[in-house]
Amino acid sequence: MTHRRILVPVLALAVFAAACSKDPPPPVEPAGPTAEEIAAQRRADSIRAAEAAAERERRAAEAEAERERRAMEQRMAAARTTLEEMIFFGYDESTLTAEAERVLRSKLDILRNSPQVMMRIDGHADERGSTEYNIALGNRRAEAVRAFFVSFGLDEGRFQIRSYGEERPLNPASSESAWARNRRAEFVITAGANQINPGM
Amino acid sequence: MPIARALETVDLRTRRPPSRASRVIAAGQRSVAGPLLAAAGSALVAAAVLATPAAAQDVDTRVPGVRLGMVYEGAYVPELAIRPFSGRFGGEGAASQVESILANDLDFSDRFRILSELPESLGGVRDIDYALWDRLGAVYLLTGTVEGSGNGFVLILRVHDVLYRQVAHEGTFRVPDPNDRGFRMAVHRASDQVVEWVFGEPGMAASRIAFSMQRDDGTKEIYVIDADGANLTRISDHRDLALSPAWSPDGGRIAYTAMTDDGWRIFEHELGSGESSRIEPRVGEYMTPEYLPDGRRLAFTIHEGATSGLYTWDLEDQCCLTNLTGGRFSDTNPSYSPDGRQLVFSSTRLGSAIPQIYTLDAGGGQPELLSPYRYGSQNSFFTAPDWAPFGDNIAFSGRVSRAGFFNILVARMGEGRRLTQLTAEGNNEDPAWAPDGRHIVFFGRRDWGSGLFVVDAASGRTRALLRGFEVGEPDWSPSM
Repeated sequence: MTHRRILVPVLALAVFAAACSKDPPPPVEPAGPTAEEIAAQRRADSIRAAEAAAERERRAAEAEAERERRAMEQRMAAARTTLEEMIFFGYDESTLTAEAERVLRSKLDILRNSPQVMMRIDGHADERGSTEYNIALGNRRAEAVRAFFVSFGLDEGRFQIRSYGEERPLNPASSESAWARNRRAEFVITAGANQINPGM
Repeated sequence: MPIARALETVDLRTRRPPSRASRVIAAGQRSVAGPLLAAAGSALVAAAVLATPAAAQDVDTRVPGVRLGMVYEGAYVPELAIRPFSGRFGGEGAASQVESILANDLDFSDRFRILSELPESLGGVRDIDYALWDRLGAVYLLTGTVEGSGNGFVLILRVHDVLYRQVAHEGTFRVPDPNDRGFRMAVHRASDQVVEWVFGEPGMAASRIAFSMQRDDGTKEIYVIDADGANLTRISDHRDLALSPAWSPDGGRIAYTAMTDDGWRIFEHELGSGESSRIEPRVGEYMTPEYLPDGRRLAFTIHEGATSGLYTWDLEDQCCLTNLTGGRFSDTNPSYSPDGRQLVFSSTRLGSAIPQIYTLDAGGGQPELLSPYRYGSQNSFFTAPDWAPFGDNIAFSGRVSRAGFFNILVARMGEGRRLTQLTAEGNNEDPAWAPDGRHIVFFGRRDWGSGLFVVDAASGRTRALLRGFEVGEPDWSPSM
């Protein structure tokens, strides 16, 4: 547009000058660019514009991908947190409470969508009862969790179980609240941690 | 007339310096019956003597139908005087060390009341002034001489019968130099010989106790300590959790459970070579090993999936895994009768998560309930049984209310399975019999901390063996 505005007055001036001279004027060299040049210029202009637009689109797409990647990471982290959320048991009990089953159900879809993920289920007990009984109890607790997953169609071979008995308390105090925290199953992802598929 | 004696006259002397002054204390505490019951003064003893409905209100410490703290037996505890040992030919220095170890052992045997207030003048070394010892109240007199032999020492012991004014028993014992590793055990063997001379029953001084102990970093290893509290030694090096040691009948090996990268597995440790090997005939989580009386087979628990069971395994031929029990419950802690015909174990097979004690024929069959389970009770918890090396008694730990503490119980199988409760203070678990079939080591927790205790099942006298440590699952060796 700028070029055109300049070119029009220049052409007009040349025509006027030619009309005023007595001799046939020598062929006037056009002062501005030729039509081809203008066309080339226009092509270049439009290419540049297209490139800029593409760059803008690319950047937007990148930003979108980054946002998605971050969102995915967050969902994977959330899925991992869900997988690792521990559950708690009653005193001398290895049966799953309603709350424990709710926590375990929240892990099911992630486990179904992430077949590479393998987990170790660690059963723990509070300090009451004999050391050896508590290892057996932790074993039964971990096994109850594995049986729950298997009953929902998950492959038993993905879950290793281990009992620490009373040896690894979350809270070493000797109180009802400490004991309640220590009667638990913990979840350790042993394979496929970077292949967690959080699903939709 | 049977003598009723109070149990749990708790006597917390560990590594007591064997001075005459401390023997005075010992003698005082050993007094029996009558005013001493009152003098002992604890609420427990009073409750035990009364055994009334009022006493039964304390459900936390009382197992229904179990006599607490009372033993009805005409146990005779004769007075023993120990004349200061003499030394000859270079044995002078060792004599007092030998004497103090012996005096300590004989006190811990709980079979003698050791006289401590000895006068300055005891008469000549050669001639025994029996009238003097009789006046002092001694029924038996122990004299000893330690002679240098160029290669260690020779200990000559004589047990005199003061009433009959004669030497009743006499023997010589080779004892290495006090700096030698075998010195204390050699003296302990002489102590056990004195017990056997007088009572015709084995002692337990020459023995050791294996147990697990927690280290500062939270790991647990297997340790061994002599029956008198000397020579605390670590024997495992797992740098993880090592638990539940069991002695082989020859005293040369210890089997135990340890956490590995694969889970709980059983190891057998050779004390002579210090080598250990992993025992793993099939997949599963392994627990609570115990040798059969033949020393050749090992019994243990394997957990696999939701089931567990007791198995035996031939260590010598590395073969013949045999299943004894099992199901969708936990069977743990096997322990065999001395003749190997029966075993006792702990199981949750009643359906409740809480274990009970069962006996079973070694060949299999139907387990028989031993612990005082009450139908519908979710509270009575009995575990960790151990069959005595003789005497047909089974010790185990039990709790009768969910909030309650554990106590040590003994089922006297020859007396219609009559139950006796040996403890009533603090928490008491994991009993194991001494080779004398009379003493029991257990893990105890008191308000001052925790440790290993030894109780005499005949008299109830209790002493702390190791105090201030997080310990567990003790097992007492055979005589060494």
